[in-house]
This record gives sequence, C-alpha cells and structure tokens, in this order.
Amino acid sequence: MRVRFWGTRGSLPVALTAGSVQGKIAAALAAAGGRTFADTAEAARFAAETLPFSTYGTYGGATSCVEVEGADGAFIVCDMGSGLREFGIDSFRRIAGGRPPVYHFFLSHLHWDHIMGFPFFGPAFNPAATIVVHSGHPDAEAALRRQQEEISFPVPFEWLRAKFEFQVHEPGVPFDAAGLTVTLAAQHHSHDSYGYRFEKNGKVVIYSTDSEHKVENMDAEKAFEAFFADADLVICDTMYSLGDTVSLKQDWGHSSNVVAVDLCQAAGARTLALFHHEPTYTDEDIQRMHAETVRYEELVRGDRPPLSVICAYDGLVVEV
Amino acid sequence: MSFASAVRQAGGRLIFAPTGRVDATTADAFTDQIVAAAREARDVGALVVDLTGLDFMASRGLRALTMAQREAGEGVPIRLANPNAQMREILKISRYDMLFEIVDEA
Repeated sequence: MRVRFWGTRGSLPVALTAGSVQGKIAAALAAAGGRTFADTAEAARFAAETLPFSTYGTYGGATSCVEVEGADGAFIVCDMGSGLREFGIDSFRRIAGGRPPVYHFFLSHLHWDHIMGFPFFGPAFNPAATIVVHSGHPDAEAALRRQQEEISFPVPFEWLRAKFEFQVHEPGVPFDAAGLTVTLAAQHHSHDSYGYRFEKNGKVVIYSTDSEHKVENMDAEKAFEAFFADADLVICDTMYSLGDTVSLKQDWGHSSNVVAVDLCQAAGARTLALFHHEPTYTDEDIQRMHAETVRYEELVRGDRPPLSVICAYDGLVVEV
Repeated sequence: MSFASAVRQAGGRLIFAPTGRVDATTADAFTDQIVAAAREARDVGALVVDLTGLDFMASRGLRALTMAQREAGEGVPIRLANPNAQMREILKISRYDMLFEIVDEA
C-alpha cells in the first residue's frame, strides 16, 4: 500500500504568512553563508541536504485528508478536510490516465474540519463518478447535505452529479471495500469518532484521529492496542502534549504524542505517523514535537524493537 | 521487569518511593499504589513521590500521577523528587514538568 497525506492539520486550516516565508528565506541565506550555486537545482540540493525541514519545507495547513492506495483501482480516502480539494484535482489527472472514477471515503467523524473539503471536491460534479461514503455515523449524509445548504454554501448537494452511496458500519465487524479489508473502532470524541484498520496482503494501515484516551479509562487502551496490532503504519492524532490532555485541554477529544507512542509500542506497530497538528503550531513547533517524540520513544522503548516515528506533512508519501 | 514501592512519613509529608520501571506491565500496580498513597496523604497534608529508585515511567505512569493528584485533592500538593536524567526528559517532553513541581531533596 501507499499512503499520501493531503491534509495533516487539526481543527482549522492554516496558511504560511509572509513573515514565515521571509524567515525561511533568511535562514536559508544565512545557512548558505555566501556560497554560490550554478543553478536552482544545485541550490535545491544544498537546501535539502543542509537545512532543517522547518526551513526548507513546511508541514502544511490543510485539514485531515489521507489517501490509501493499493485497492482495486478505486480511490480510498480518509476524511474530507480541506486537503480534499487538492486530492480531487490530482484524481482528475489520474483518471485521465486510466483510473476508474470511483471513490471510497472513510469518515472518522463529521466535525467541520473533517468534511469542509467536500464542497470543493470537483469529482462530485462528474456524472461518471461513483462516490461511496463509509462511516460509523448514520448521520453522515445529513452532515454533508447540511453544509451545502444555502445558509452555508451556494451550491446545494442536489446539484452534484456523481452517483452517491452511504454505508454505515458497525465497529469491530470487518468488511471488504475496493479490495481492502476494513474494520472500524469506536473512539472517544464529541459526537463519537471512528478509527479505521485497512488490511491487504498482510500489510496494515491504521487511521486513528480525533481520539481522546481518557486518564480515568486507561483500561480501554487495551482495545486500541489490539486494533493497532502489528500495524505497518499507524496514523495517529497527536495534537497536544500529554500534560495538556489531562489539564486545560481535557475533554477536547484529542490525544498526545506520548500516548500514541505507548499504544504503538504495546501493539508492536512498526511506524507511527504524527498527525492532526495543532493549528497554532509553527513549523518549528511541529519539528520540535517530532524530535521530542522520537526521543520519548527511545527513552521508554525498553527491550522492544524500535518504533519508527515520522511526522506527517501535506504532500508526504509513505510506502507500506 | 520488577516494580515495588514503599511509603513512609517524614517532616509532615507522606513519601511514596517507587523502584524499578513503570511500563505497560507494571502500570496497574503503580496506579493502585500511588492512588492509595494519595488517599493516605489527605490526612498528612502533602505527598512527595521520591523517584530516586525509578528507572522511568511511560504515559500510564504519568497519568497515574494525575489520578493521584485528583485523589489527593487540590489542597494536597504532590511533588516529584529526585528524578534521574531519563525521567527529567520524560517529564519535560510530556509537559508534566508544568503540572507538578520537581524538587531535589533527601
């Protein structure tokens, strides 16, 4: 399987400001230290090899949207955050190359930041397209229709031309979708959320976002360790610090980098992708959180094999 | 991995001293014991968690500290004493160093 991250930010889309870009350019020029380059390609190589990601790149600002490739040719997409707009455009390119216009969406939940990209999803206007929306929520269709009512958006759902199908699934009951075996897990979040386990040919990808692991209900984490078991990649809500999740941001419905590492280690997972980044975090903040998480994994690893900790960003592609 | 704890009173504080490590296999025992100590500390007035003999604790141990603080109540401060370098890093990364006072004391 191949996983493409189209949106990795939590709660609210963010954009780089002019000041942020200017800071990156200034840092790059300072790092170059008067060096000259034959062309932009040589400069790009220098930057990639020398500069930290927070200077040379950005984690991006689109909200949750993750594509899982490797199904039967259909598109598999987790959540419809603002990253969905770019995915939709790119899918047109791939459909022109022969892919069928069939989309299977898997919704973690129906909060605004996880469905806000749908009104800008171009393929919904394609009469040849089929869109299947999988969810644990029976009100998923109502949520998508409601955000296109006139008070919120000028294009009503009825104007969309694709063929739609909404499927509601029970947690813990595996089903087949587009050539993948999929299982849901119920998660703690306002109006509930669901994690997804995707399996094919012995490979496992987990999508678990907007999931709070409550301090007074730690026994429930056994179920998540089983859900994550032997996963090749776990995409996990790591929005806050552990300290925040038990104090100021308790009951906000999110998890921490520290708990994500512990769950993945106990589950025997191979790679953890930090995801659903706090919108107030700068690139430097996210990079620091990533480095701290790598270090925490080392500190509590004990006798276990290493867990690879990567940090998702808009545009990241992970081969599984 | 072994885990044990001891409780004693000194200087008007209850001192809870875990030894070993708090990981997935020992977290339940640590939680039960520190919450019981926190309950006992209500009658003493303060709880010191002496980390001198602790190798490290993962998130379930950290969250047990929160459970202990809730059990003790806001009027009974819990201080973390003598963490080793590994524990200091864990407390900083988790931001638990902003929730609990960390002290060096005998």
